[in-house]
This record gives sequence, C-alpha cells and structure tokens, in this order.
Amino acid sequence: MDALIEKLKGQIIEQLNLAEVKPEEIKPDSPLFGEGLGLDSIDALELIVLLEKHYGIKIQDPKDGKTIFQSLRTMAEYIKSQGKS
Amino acid sequence: MTKAYINGTGCISPQNSIDSEWFFDTINPAKGDYFDAIEPSYKEFIAPNLLRRMGRAIKMGVAAGNIAIQQADAKKVDAIITGTGLGCFEDSERFLLALLNNEEQFLTPTSFIQSTHNTVGSQIALLMKCHDYNFTYVHRGFSFESTIQDALMLFEEGKETILVGGIEEHTPNFVILNRRAHKFQEVTLNTPIWKSTTPGVQMSEGTACFILNKTKTDKSLASVDGIQTLYKPKTSADILNKLHSFLKLHSLTLADIDVTLMGFSGDVNFDSKLQELLPSIEKESIAACYKNVCGEYHTASAFAMWTATKIIEKQKLPQVLAISDKTPSQIKHVLIINQYLGINYSFTLLSQC
Repeated sequence: MDALIEKLKGQIIEQLNLAEVKPEEIKPDSPLFGEGLGLDSIDALELIVLLEKHYGIKIQDPKDGKTIFQSLRTMAEYIKSQGKS
Repeated sequence: MTKAYINGTGCISPQNSIDSEWFFDTINPAKGDYFDAIEPSYKEFIAPNLLRRMGRAIKMGVAAGNIAIQQADAKKVDAIITGTGLGCFEDSERFLLALLNNEEQFLTPTSFIQSTHNTVGSQIALLMKCHDYNFTYVHRGFSFESTIQDALMLFEEGKETILVGGIEEHTPNFVILNRRAHKFQEVTLNTPIWKSTTPGVQMSEGTACFILNKTKTDKSLASVDGIQTLYKPKTSADILNKLHSFLKLHSLTLADIDVTLMGFSGDVNFDSKLQELLPSIEKESIAACYKNVCGEYHTASAFAMWTATKIIEKQKLPQVLAISDKTPSQIKHVLIINQYLGINYSFTLLSQC
C-alpha cells in the first residue's frame, strides 16, 4: 500500500502540475480537496482521467468520487479493491 | 473625435520592459533568428493555485494587465479587450499532443479550458472581479488594433476606463516549424532592419497592456488620438495617400509628426512598401523602428504603442530605434505605421497630453 501511495503522489504532482509541492508534503490521510492540497472541481476531473489512464479504472458513478478522492489512502485502497495496483 | 488617454502600461517583451525604469538603455539580443520574452517572477502577480494551470500567454497577459492597473491606480475597469493572433498556443499544442499521444483517450480538461483565445481576458476579469464587457479579437495582424478601435467606440457609448492588451506567445514547436518553412532569419542589432534585402523575420512574442481612460487625469501619460487599418494596400503610394487623409482627420500633416515608428520586420518581402515610403517620411518627420528590439509577431503593434507612450513620456527617441540622423527637439506627436506580413497595415496616432 505504501509503495502505491508514493507512486500516486508523483502521478498527482505531474498530472495537476503541482510544481511547488514536494511528495513528502502530501500526507496519506490529509484531505485532497478543500483544506490539505486545496484541489478543486477541475482537479477532480484530472484525477478521474489519472485513474483511467494509469490504472484502467473507469469511475461509473461520479458520486463515488467524493469517497474515492477523500485522501491518498482512500485512492490507493480503491485501486487495490479494483485489483489494479 | 473621441480620444483615449493612456493612464497605465504594462509590457513583457524580449527586452527588460517589465522594469518601469528601463528605457532602451540595455538591449537583449535575439537568440539568432528569434526572441524569447523576458518573463517576471509571476508569484508577485498570481496566486500559486491559479499559476499552476496557466500557460505562458495567460501568465504574461495577467502580469502585464496587473502592472498597467497598478500604474493607473485603477480600482475598476468597465471593459477588458484583448487581441491575439495565435492565442494560448502552448495549451492548444498540449491538448492536441495529448489527443495524438493518447489516441484520443484520457483527455484532461485543464489544457483544453486554458487553450481558448479569450482565456487571458477572462482570467484578468476573474482576478479583477470585472463582470462587464469582455471581448477578445483574433484578427491576425489587426488583433491589437481592433482592441483600440473597440475601446474608442465604447468610450463614445459612455464607458470610462478600459483595459486593452495585445498578447502573443511562441513555443519550441512553433519555432521549429517556422524555421523549416524558412520564415526566420538572423538579424543583428548592427544590421539596419529597414535596409534588409533578404527574406525572413526574427519571430518573437510579448504582451503589452494599457489602461485607457475616456477623460484626462493626472495619471495620463499620452493620448491615443486615432487608429486606422489598411488591408493589402497595393502600392506605397496608396499607403501614403491614406496616411495623409488619416492625419488630415486629426488636423495634422506629416510635418507635425515628431517621430514616426515604422514596422520594418527585416523581411524584404514584407518591408518593400515601407522601404519605398521611408524617404517621404524622413523628408518631413523623424523615422524610427522597433521590431529590431521586439521582433515580429501578430501583436507587435502593442509593443510599438508602449514604445510610443514611453517616448512621449521621456521626450526622447532612443538611439537604438533611430533610422533618421535627426533628433527631435520636442515630441508632441508620435505616429506608428505597423505592418504584418505585408498584408495588415495600420496607423496609430499618439500625442502628448
């Protein structure tokens, strides 16, 4: 799980062009939206594309995004649960 | 006739124009056959969470707009009008490359959203919380000129303060492709750009924004008295005739123009009419150029207007721009004759106020 979280950190920084953010600054359990990384709705679309592009996971119901993208850990757990890590 | 008073300017160019004290004292040479703009630290102007999504054209436009707003001390503007030939080229390229590389799959929204031509004007509007008139002209070599024409008409309709800007960026791929098509040539500062006998320009990029006011204030630096565009004039005599008529509209003759900034690009195919026009200009006015320091791009006329404003403000014609040997004793009127690809010609008249 830790290896997947580390991998996700790099992919998120690249996809969202977070040039100012270092991987160690993203805490696995901190919220990705609002506080924490402070991502917004456009970033949510970018994360959906990231999951599809790198892990072949298509989020069928957009409402699920709220739970899946809560933190890095919830993202990693979702990827694992889909057997795509 | 409605005038526009220039109350603030912001310019990002291949020169150090971002520094308000700079006045052509140090000149940054081209990188062979093209210029890159000297960009500021954008963190001073744009919040990091917005900055990460912006391409260079947007960053340059927002920063130059910001500088102009600060200089004019404008609390609000009634309209934002931008002009660009190629728009947000970097993001357009990024989106198209993603289309190709990912076989039309996994397309992300950011570069698509940021690639539209009106992104610069809309970003300035969002930052200024300006919900008023917002328009972007994409009229090739008339893009910036169209912003001035629109502003002058809006003043007649009662608007008081308007932000206008000309914005252009290039990308490495753009430079590679144009070089392959032999559109460029190397011109050094020691080569008189107005005497070119060879094809090719020094391709470039940059942004100049202006806060225009309907009425004169203590911040006013110069006035834009009028502007006229000419599409594909047949001969240099046609241009001269139109120029005389344009000046007559403002009760002036060529002898009243203290400095004439001419848009020689260094490409003989595009400059030939200006070369033929030069003796008539030099006979009655003092001729100068500007594309030897800013290079060629669709909205280079915005750099020319920034230069004309500075010349009026400083009451001095920088030596690096001079074509004629004469020195102006006072600078009351500056005329810009711009041309782009020998197709789009324009006259812009600026005066001391």
